[in-house]
This record gives sequence, C-alpha cells and structure tokens, in this order.
Amino acid sequence: MTYTFDFMAVRHGLGVLFDGLLVTLELTVAANVIGLTFGFGLALLVMHRWAVLRWPASLFVEFFRCTPAIIQIVWFFYCVPMLFDVYLDAMTMGILALACNLTAFNAEAYRAAIQAVPRDYRDAGIALGLNGWQRIRYIVLPTAFRAALPVLVSNGIGIFQQTALVAIVALQDLMYMGKSLATESYRPIETFTVVALIYFAVSFPVSQLASWFEHRRDRLAR
Amino acid sequence: MMSTNTSAPLVSIRGLHKAYSPTVQVIKGIDLDMHAGDRLVVIGPSGGGKSTLLRVLMGLETIDKGSIAFDGQPYIQADEARGKTSIDTKVRNSIGMVFQNYTLFPHLTIVENLILAPCKSRGEKESVAKDRALTFLTRFGLRDKATVYPSQLSGGQKQRVAIARALMLDPKLMLFDEVTSALDPELVAEVEQVIQQLALQNLSMMIVTHDMWFAKNIASRVLFCAGGTIVEDGPPEQVMGAPREERTREFLSRVFHIGA
Amino acid sequence: MDYNFAFVLRYQDALLVGLKMTVLVSLASIAIGCLWGFVLGMARGSSLRWARALATVYIEFFRGTPVIVQLFWVFFCLPLLLGIELSNMASGIVALSLYMGAISAESFRAALKTISPDQHNACVALGLSRYAEIRYVLMPQAILRAIPTLLSNCVSLFKESALVSAVGMADLMFVGQNISNATARPVEVLTVVALIYFVIAFPLTRGVTVLERKVLKGLAV
Ligand SMILES: Nc1ncnc2c1ncn2[C@@H]1O[C@H](COP(=O)(O)OP(=O)(O)OP(=O)(O)O)[C@@H](O)[C@H]1O
Ligand SMILES: [Mg+2]
Repeated sequence: MTYTFDFMAVRHGLGVLFDGLLVTLELTVAANVIGLTFGFGLALLVMHRWAVLRWPASLFVEFFRCTPAIIQIVWFFYCVPMLFDVYLDAMTMGILALACNLTAFNAEAYRAAIQAVPRDYRDAGIALGLNGWQRIRYIVLPTAFRAALPVLVSNGIGIFQQTALVAIVALQDLMYMGKSLATESYRPIETFTVVALIYFAVSFPVSQLASWFEHRRDRLAR
Repeated sequence: MMSTNTSAPLVSIRGLHKAYSPTVQVIKGIDLDMHAGDRLVVIGPSGGGKSTLLRVLMGLETIDKGSIAFDGQPYIQADEARGKTSIDTKVRNSIGMVFQNYTLFPHLTIVENLILAPCKSRGEKESVAKDRALTFLTRFGLRDKATVYPSQLSGGQKQRVAIARALMLDPKLMLFDEVTSALDPELVAEVEQVIQQLALQNLSMMIVTHDMWFAKNIASRVLFCAGGTIVEDGPPEQVMGAPREERTREFLSRVFHIGA
Repeated sequence: MDYNFAFVLRYQDALLVGLKMTVLVSLASIAIGCLWGFVLGMARGSSLRWARALATVYIEFFRGTPVIVQLFWVFFCLPLLLGIELSNMASGIVALSLYMGAISAESFRAALKTISPDQHNACVALGLSRYAEIRYVLMPQAILRAIPTLLSNCVSLFKESALVSAVGMADLMFVGQNISNATARPVEVLTVVALIYFVIAFPLTRGVTVLERKVLKGLAV
C-alpha cells in the first residue's frame, strides 16, 4: 500500500461538510414528518373496503417500494415540472420525492402492524363492551403503533441514507459537498471516508434505539 | 460387539462434580459403576440433576471435578488446574442419546435423518445405510413414513424415529432423557414398547423418567437422585418398593399420590 | 404538451443492453454477497469474541451508510489503496457485494438463531463432526429459513444496483438517463425505465410473502 493518508486535507472542508449535513438533516426530518402522517392515512386506504380507494393506494405503495429510489428522484426532478407545469425549488422537490418514497414504506409498516393485532384483543374489546370506534382507538391502534415503531424508525434511517441520492440531481447536501470536496482537494479517500463516518455517526445510534425498542416490545409481549 | 475388558464396568464415574455457575452446583460428587446389560432408571425430584448427569455422560457438558471411564477406557477427565474438560470423542461415539423434544432434523426426510450420521461421519455406503434404516423403521412400525418429513409425524412417531436414528450407530449404551414427557398420554405406550423391545435384546441403557410404572417395569436397577447426589441405589423392588431412605419414601409417596 | 410513449420503442435495443447489465451486476453481487453474508452471519453468532466484534462492526457500518457513498468509496478509493486498476464493472460488483454481504448476514444470523440448540445436541449425540454439522444440518436449515428475507435482500440489491449509473456504468438507469437527455423526453423514457424495474421487482416481493408461509409451515417440527 503506497497511499499516504492525510486526513488534515479534509479538515479545511469540515465546515462545508457540516453545511451539507444540515441540508441532509433538513431533508430527513421533513420527509419523516410527511411519511409518518401520510403513511398512516395511506395504510387506512390500502385496507379500505372500497376497491376504488384500495387499488390506487396499493398501486402507489407497490410502485414506490419496487423501483429504485434514484429513479424516483430523477423522475421527480425532470418530470414533475413538465407534467404539472410547476417549478419548485430543489429543496422542496427533494423533500417531496423522498417523502413519497417514505410514505409508501411506512404505509406498508402500518398495514402489517394493524393486521397483526391478534384477533383475541378485538374479541376482548367486544367482551368488554367497547364499540367499533373505541376498539380501534384504544386497542388496535396503540398495539399496532407499538409494533410498527421499530420498522418506522428503520425506514426513517433508510430515508436519511437515501437523501444522499439527491446530490445526483444537484442539491447541496452532505453527499454533494463530499463529492465536490473530493474533486477539489484530490483527496477522495479521506473525504469519502469522513463522509461515510458522518452518515454512520447519525444513523447508528438511531438504529440502536430502534432495536432497543424492538427488544423491549418483545419482552413486553411475553 | 465384544467388550474390551469383560470384568470392567461399562460406565465408571468417579468423584463427579458439575456446576453451571458458582452458585448453581448441580452435581455434588457422584460415584457410580454401571455394568453391561444394566437398565438403570434414574428417578428424583425436578432440578435434582438427572438431565445434567445424562448430558455429561453424552459429552455435552464440561465437568469441574472427577472422571468417567467407558468400557475400560478413559472417556471424560476434568483438568481442575486449567479448568478444562477433556472428552474422548471416539469413545463418545459408542454412546447414543434420545432427548425429550425429539430433535429430528426438520429439513430431512425420516430416512435421511437415519442415514445422515452413518454416511457422513462413519463413511458407510448410502445404499447399505438405507437398507439398515428401512429394517429399523419396519421393526418400529414406521416403514410407510420413510420418505415423509418430521413435521408430518405425531409426537410418538417422531420419538420412535429418534430412537431408531440413535440405534443406527450401534451404541453400546443408550441414554433416554424423559423421552415420553412431551407426548400426549395415549402416545406414551408406543414409545415405551420400543424401549421394552430394546431391553429384551440386553442393550445397556440409562433412563430418566417420571413414569413410575414404566420405571418399575423396565429397570434392572434404580437410582434415586436428589440435590446433586445419589440418595439411594438398588434393585427396583427395594428402591421403589421398600426404600431405606426417608427422602426416597417421601418422594415416592408424593408422586404416587399425584399419579393416582 | 402531448406524450408519445411509443417512441421509446425505438430505443428498445439500448434499453435491453442496459437491462442486461443491471441483471448481470445484480446476479453477480447477489451470488458473491450471499456467500460472504453466510460467513459473516456465522461469525456474528459465533462464540469467538473477536470474530463477533469484527462482523458486527462490518455489518453495522455497511448498513449505516448510504450505498452510494460505499460505491463512490470503492470506485475512487479502492484503486488508490490497492494500487490496481479496477474496471467500472468490477468496482460496481465489489461495492454491491460488500453491501449484500452485510444485509444478508443479518438474514442468516436471524435464521441461525431460530435453529434450536437441541439440533446441536443431537449432532453431538450422533457423533457428527463440526464440519458435517454445519454442512448438513445448520446450513440447509439456515438457508431454508432465510429464503424469504434473502429474497427481499435480493430485491433491495436489484434496486440499489441502479446507483452504479452514478459512477458511469452503462446499466438500465444510465442508458435511460442518456436517452432521456438526448431526446429531451424524460417523462416517457424515465417512466418506462421505472416500469421495467417495477415489473421485475414486484413479482419478487409477492414471492416473498408466499415463500414465507410455505417455508415456515414446512419447518415447523
Ligand atoms: N444450561 C444451564 N444453565 C444453568 N443452569 C442450568 C442449566 N441446565 C440446568 N440448570 C439447572 O441445573 C439444575 C439441574 O437441572 P437438571 O435439568 O439436571 O434437573 P433434572 O433433574 O433433569 O430436572 P427435571 O426433572 O425437571 O428435568 C436445575 O436447577 C436447573 O435450573
Ligand atoms: Mg430433566
């Protein structure tokens, strides 16, 4: 190995990387807020009695789950302005693209969790004289939300990582800053290593938190 | 299958101690000689260390003190100084064991379960092993189950397969740890009959069971174990019929009351 | 503005070449990544502390960073570090295999964990060697139980493979973007490309659900 490391070269770029990280976090938080709320609504539609609501909702979910995130983002940036004749700033576009993706994944997580609530619980609700709405409000939803939480968190981390893709369509996030810094400084190894470490430093603690939740949930279930 | 030394006991345990952790002392000094052809039944209260004794004999656990010889050869030795246990795996191969929960391999058919060890660790030819397997299955009334998977069998059938699987290796000693405990009551008899069959062929075995009637019928010798030691040891008529020790008497009166 | 999806047909040869590349890269990375993942999964559940620690760090790191960063890292840095030339294709496959190893390791580890310790006891009682135990008892069961999640891992990898376009590999995504730029018709081209990915990935995700039910039933002892 002949390469000599010079992580100092990256030090001067840290400020830029930090600016990039802020953009990344902004994208992540906004996409998660949208994904958590709309995902729930979409899950209800996916399970709806009426096929007219169920079918389009399922199609939306499956489409976003079964295509690469990068094409969704590129598609958004190129096609939405042409199709709808709206011109939004890059940040809004990025958030919307990521939010659609996350909404689909979260809808699936909510649906699986709601359908996994054991029948016994609902039966117990009936035996206790709760009406339909009360059973959903006090039994089904709390149980389902607890069950879905780990998946929701890991989907959220997934989106944090997917934000790196918007760099490709020129939003100045962490990945984008990393790329230009690498080219400017001729120090790709140090730069990309530091960039990777920053991503890791954010997502690792959160994923640990998710598995802690999961552990606790499994313990409670027993 | 000649014993290498006809006068030596088949199993000879000396000063056996075993703890799972410093606070969980499970076997607190056991000395035991068992002779070829013995059918040793171990009874005693739950947590008394019966399963542990069998697992140690099978070479599944380390020990803290003592040694075990099998068929006149050193088998298991505790190296107290280094805190290690040496187990002679060659000797171990002449012992077979059947567990409470069948432990069949779920991804293999019944015949494949039977021939796996003979083929893969003894290098037996597959066709030969298969013939032997079918003979065993026929003997145990399972000929038609040869090509199905374990999930399609009843508990009693699974346990008979597990016994056949162990017998495929021609063990000189068979260990049975509560092999009927997981079964529905009506399936217990079919498994016990298979063990009776083996008894008629003079196979040496050590059996842990909570079924006192079965114990009385099959045993040539009974051990009463409690608190990690052998409390009483003798022929079934004596240990179960006229126990000398107060603890044995108390245990028996309790189980026979509950059983009745 | 009017749309003309039929014109995309004119580019079907180019798209097909791109699709072939996508499938090739995915299959190669899946094959290499699964083997690597089994080793990592065993290491993660092993009793050797250093093996466990190394595997854990590896897996967490690759799961905790964006695949595109990994791809750029392998693409720009590995050649410098190793002092060798790596073709675009080789770096793409290396990066995706490393990632596949990390995600499939989790599937294997979870599968290995559901195999009860009694199976090990039975192997000892039957005098099976450690090798025979792994080869004939643990591995087949781990693979069978892991199949549903492995299949979802494969779908994920297939989707992530679109990223190799960012380092200039001529896969489906790359070809699609080129055509879209050249013709200035992103709506038709990008939509068709997305549909091609969908048509492949969707049946696979359905398959996961079916397999899950089948496998779990077959292995219930
Ligand atoms: N792997 C283990 N780790 C720690 N403690 C154990 C372990 N296995 C058994 N023990 C403990 O050792 C003691 C003896 O267990 P063992 O299974 O030998 O008893 P037993 O006589 O077979 O009881 P039973 O009739 O309930 O099967 C028990 O107190 C048990 O909790
Ligand atoms: Mg026991």
